[in-house]
Amino acid sequence: MENTRPTRTQSQPGDKIIRFTNCLTPIDNKLLPSTIYVNSTTGLIISPQDLFYDSKLSASSTVDLGGRILVPGFIDVQINGAYGFDFSDASKDDDAYAAGLRDVNQRLVSTGVTSYCPTITSQKNAVYKMALPHLGPSKRDASLGCSSLGGHVEGPFLNPERNGIHPLHVLQTPKDGLKSLETVYGKDNMNQNIKMITLAPELLPPAALPSLSSILASKNIILSAGHSTATFSQLVSSNINMVTHLFNAMHQPHQREPGIPGAVLADVSKPRYFGIIADGVHVHPANIRWAWQSNPTGLCLVTDAMSLLGLPDGEYEWGNGESIIKTGGLLTLKGTNKIAGSCVTLAECLNNFMRFTGIGIAEAVKTVTATPARMLGLEGVKGGLGVGADADLCVLDMQSDGSVVVDEVWKFGQKVWEKERVRARRPGVVELSRL
Amino acid sequence: MRLIIRDDKRQTSLWVAEYIVRRINDFRPSKDRPFVLGLPTGSSPEQVYANLVDFYKKGKVSFKHVVTFNMDEYVGIPTSHPQSYHSFMFKHLFQHVDIPPSQIHIPSLENYKDYDNMIAKYGGIELFLCGVGSDGHIAFNEPGSSLSSKTRIKTLTKETVIANARFFDGDVNAVPKSAVTVGVKTVADAREVVLIADGRGKAEAVKQAVEGSISHTWTVTALQMHPRFIMVVDDAATEELKVKTVKYFRDIESEGSSEDKIKSKL
Repeated sequence: MENTRPTRTQSQPGDKIIRFTNCLTPIDNKLLPSTIYVNSTTGLIISPQDLFYDSKLSASSTVDLGGRILVPGFIDVQINGAYGFDFSDASKDDDAYAAGLRDVNQRLVSTGVTSYCPTITSQKNAVYKMALPHLGPSKRDASLGCSSLGGHVEGPFLNPERNGIHPLHVLQTPKDGLKSLETVYGKDNMNQNIKMITLAPELLPPAALPSLSSILASKNIILSAGHSTATFSQLVSSNINMVTHLFNAMHQPHQREPGIPGAVLADVSKPRYFGIIADGVHVHPANIRWAWQSNPTGLCLVTDAMSLLGLPDGEYEWGNGESIIKTGGLLTLKGTNKIAGSCVTLAECLNNFMRFTGIGIAEAVKTVTATPARMLGLEGVKGGLGVGADADLCVLDMQSDGSVVVDEVWKFGQKVWEKERVRARRPGVVELSRL
Repeated sequence: MRLIIRDDKRQTSLWVAEYIVRRINDFRPSKDRPFVLGLPTGSSPEQVYANLVDFYKKGKVSFKHVVTFNMDEYVGIPTSHPQSYHSFMFKHLFQHVDIPPSQIHIPSLENYKDYDNMIAKYGGIELFLCGVGSDGHIAFNEPGSSLSSKTRIKTLTKETVIANARFFDGDVNAVPKSAVTVGVKTVADAREVVLIADGRGKAEAVKQAVEGSISHTWTVTALQMHPRFIMVVDDAATEELKVKTVKYFRDIESEGSSEDKIKSKL
């Protein structure tokens, strides 16, 4: 983690200071005109007043955003791969894996995602040992593109009754509590490379859960319940505050057993978070609206995207000798109608979410910025525009239908991606230069 | 002294801002001969600053060669605190104009011993803008302050602390108990002093400043000794003055000051 924070916070002469003007930023759920100062050398959002008085400096350049929207960079805490690279594919050697990961990091910023938890689905032990050392928190370097905040291991301690498309033969029972986890993931990985663990809490020996969650908390690892048959009371009485892809791979609310959804949406004894897939396929829009209205401060949009994100339709081999059929945005396990993850971008999920709930971007953007950052314990560092936060930024353009398009992406105060400006041409009119 | 009376705060603020702009431009400041301006904080100067920003944006004045010295600052709250005078000045003036950060001075625990020296090194203050408290204090020089005082630390009176609690969520304990402030003499040493006062609450202080005797219980009265001292007040702030006094100043200022008249004849 030593490279993830800047070595200093005060600006010094020679630093590149950028002033973003003529932009709208989300403040108290409204878009308001703002000016944001960023130090590209330290990679932080800075206070113009501190810059003026303490550093005796002014901005070295101004970026006029032409009235567009400036928001924090998006955070995706559940994404399995993209652009043909699968974080769970350990068949490559280390160099090839590292090269594939670098490529994903470079390309993923184009979707507005500046930080993420690369997710490994249920695999044999060797896969975790091979892949996780690559997936720890990224170095603080804008040229690397998207940053990992640490890996998310979704499995193999999942309930076989709610396995989704996780192959049954690799699932395990954490019968020795923490020791089982250490055996599968590796102690070193648990100390530095893992940020989130999805498991089915009902599989743990009843005595192991309280101690396990406090040990994981001390390692800054978030324990999330998922692929689970846990009941309402099991979840409420546990100290698990996060749920993986709400409504998917769990019991649905029943009149006498509200299940995990009931616990996370209706138990208000403490703040609870949940990931939810707003691709329009995994979860019905009404359920998303319901989840938002019940627990707006806990909702984190996730893509759960597969490596097929960005690839053409067709049949693709998935690990463990199975195949996935990609039909547009829909992924199914071959020979079944089981949904096999998604292949939408987080920006598409955000637009869906705004459409499903009817809320504006200033409020909706929290579900991909401030809320996942708070869930991960990174409030004030990621997912916000406050002074001292990392200058990971997205410039959004509002469309006439209220949806947003990612125009520019900045990482640690440096522009890392910009949408190509396609010259508007009227259909049917041949440009003179082409004749 | 001159006493300029205008109908309301809007007009006094505009008069003062126009006057400062004219003084800066007439001075023709340059890199090696900057215009040195003393500045206050508070509700009285807020509109003056808004007008100055407006004039700057219209291209009527530049602060590139202006050096500023602020009057005072709290001790015990960070400069980034929303109620600090650093924050006030940045919010209302500095962030909007072209003044280089290196030309700003605000007193602090670190620099107050050297503050008057720093002013002297710039050749003294050309124009000191100040407000006045309802008890006649200028800067944080509350009643009883030496009229020959220089920049130093002052303990705030209980009355001031309670009055300021409204800026700290009503919490008296959150209000700083002391401040660094320029002295009465620091203000009086400026080549020109422009004082603004508005509202009924300032009427007694205005009366003392104009009609009272020089006394450390009304520190503003020290400015009666100043060769170039202008008070700019609104109607409400004249309510405690004698009718005769108001008539006198209205009369002599109606067609500009005697100085302006002579200038116009030249």
